[in-house]
Amino acid sequence: MSHDVMIDLQQVNKFYRGQKAPVVENMSMTIQQGEIIVLVGPSGCGKTTTMKMINRLIEPSSGRILIDGTDVTALDGNDLRRQIGYVIQQVGLFPHMSVATNVGLVPKMLGWDRKRIEARADELLHLVGLEPAIYRNRLPRQLSGGQQQRVGVARALAADPPVMLMDEPFGATDPMTRDRLQNEFLRLQEQLRKTIVFVTHDFDEAIKMGTRIAVLGERSKIRQFDTPENLLASPADSTVAQFIGRGARLKQLDLRRVDAIAWEDIPLIQPDKAANGAKRQLEQTEGSSALTVDADNRPLRWVNADDLTADAGALDGAAGQTVTTVEPQATLRDALDAMLASRDGAAVVVDEHGRYAGTVTLDGLMQVIHHTPERGAPGSGVPDQRSGVAPAAELTPEQR
Amino acid sequence: MSSAVETQAAATVLTPPSRWRGLLRRHATMPVILTVVLLGTYLWVSATNLDDIEQRFLNADYLLRTAGEHVTLAALTTVLVVAIAGGGGILLTRPSLRWLTPFATGLANIGQATPAIGLLVLLSIFLGIDFSTALICLVAYSVLPVLQNTIVGINQVDRHLIEAGRGIGMSPLAVLLRIELPLAVPVILAGVRTALVLAVGVATLATFIDAGGMGALIVTGIKLQRETILVTGAVLTAALALTLDWLGGVISDLLRPRGLD
Repeated sequence: MSHDVMIDLQQVNKFYRGQKAPVVENMSMTIQQGEIIVLVGPSGCGKTTTMKMINRLIEPSSGRILIDGTDVTALDGNDLRRQIGYVIQQVGLFPHMSVATNVGLVPKMLGWDRKRIEARADELLHLVGLEPAIYRNRLPRQLSGGQQQRVGVARALAADPPVMLMDEPFGATDPMTRDRLQNEFLRLQEQLRKTIVFVTHDFDEAIKMGTRIAVLGERSKIRQFDTPENLLASPADSTVAQFIGRGARLKQLDLRRVDAIAWEDIPLIQPDKAANGAKRQLEQTEGSSALTVDADNRPLRWVNADDLTADAGALDGAAGQTVTTVEPQATLRDALDAMLASRDGAAVVVDEHGRYAGTVTLDGLMQVIHHTPERGAPGSGVPDQRSGVAPAAELTPEQR
Repeated sequence: MSSAVETQAAATVLTPPSRWRGLLRRHATMPVILTVVLLGTYLWVSATNLDDIEQRFLNADYLLRTAGEHVTLAALTTVLVVAIAGGGGILLTRPSLRWLTPFATGLANIGQATPAIGLLVLLSIFLGIDFSTALICLVAYSVLPVLQNTIVGINQVDRHLIEAGRGIGMSPLAVLLRIELPLAVPVILAGVRTALVLAVGVATLATFIDAGGMGALIVTGIKLQRETILVTGAVLTAALALTLDWLGGVISDLLRPRGLD
């Protein structure tokens, strides 16, 4: 990740006439190029106001906002906004314009010629997974909610802005659609590397989307500004902890991958040994289970001494318990699920060809959870300041 | 980004029904009714023995002249009302002028609430007896529906669309021209239609200050107790109002932005 500062808020305030308390008070924040910064907080905490000051839909009362080193107040507001992608919860597609027209609005304002606008609209529709030939001439009301928001994202990306502002962009969709849109957007972001300010009141969404999360309190005061991992592991105060809600540990499991924790080895029983060598091998395991595998080392079943046929000590092919496997990229939550399904509290890790690679156990999981990295200084502005047992555990955006 | 399944499912939905067929279905009745009524009146008048007075009024020259005056009066009124009330309505929905709205609609309400004949007579005392006085009276009388509908039409546009427009860098003028007005067109045109019909009706009073129009037929018919003249005047006025209303409906359907339900 590059460390160029893309957005710099310096002591930004917003007062409204006739109101004593500012809506946003002394907000300072540094955002690096390519980060997704999530502003999260209760309704009315000023998170949307803060975001709208970046593209000057709301003019800051005092303080400075720099985008890529340029003071936003030095630019004409409309010009500024054409260079910043903007996505809102209500999508805001213009109902009387076709999908392609909606997407091409900003390029048109920027004076592109018609051919180029059309080509760009098609390219973007394709990018967000809407077949241009089918969708370009549709009207917004002929699209589902999820499709509309994809067009909304495409419209925001039209002029390839380096910075995007997203105000609860997936808030109005049903949970399944939201999940899909989130995943798709994260995948998109891997290619696009935009600098994104993302407002939500949903903490789970914040954890999922954020490179870093700013938990805001009244008047947009930053209570904690840190990576999702650190936020979950060590909330700065009780308010943040309350906001994170229950199940912080479980939420942590979503953020880490199986390849980030230590794997253990267990005894394998090759097919040729299943008949006669199995007894001896199982006795050596001292009561715990072994795994039968096929000729290609693909896991078959969990077995232990009880599964030996009484007389010969041979293994019946159907004995034992079926195996639940996980891949190294699976989240620890998936691994935990697999462990709970297995008799011995272990999940079998397989490689992409389905071959045995190792096992992860509850013990291993516990260790990771209890050695989660200490919290870095909140708001220190270093995005990947993380320490931990396993450096491989670092969850870079590329991995998501 | 999307799955193939979804793409296919979406591909099968919604091709909007032909615009023209719908238009024909909705607007075919009125011309038929009007033709029948006008033809019936014509046949009735031709079958009647007309005396001197009746012949002086019920001839093509006279009828066309008064109808021409009437239409001119109504059309000019509409143009002026659209300019004044439409422009005023747009101004009154700008954030900086919104506070003026109650005063403006209050004023327009006076124009409409005052009995038209009273307004006409009052104005003629100050402005003299002529065509322009009648025009001013008609404008004052029909400003309210257009003003009100322009304001309502623009204000009913989803605020989020305006925010989205501003958010992607459209200027306030561009938001007005490309978003607010197109989406307000159906409501504004409904107001214009109402104003037009009002104007045609009230224009019959113009004859009282010698400003022409088909009111002359009605007034003469009453004064001289000539039923044919009275009925012809009334039928023609009504037919004119209905024709213009029908035309307004057709235009409003044609100008209606696509993508609205």
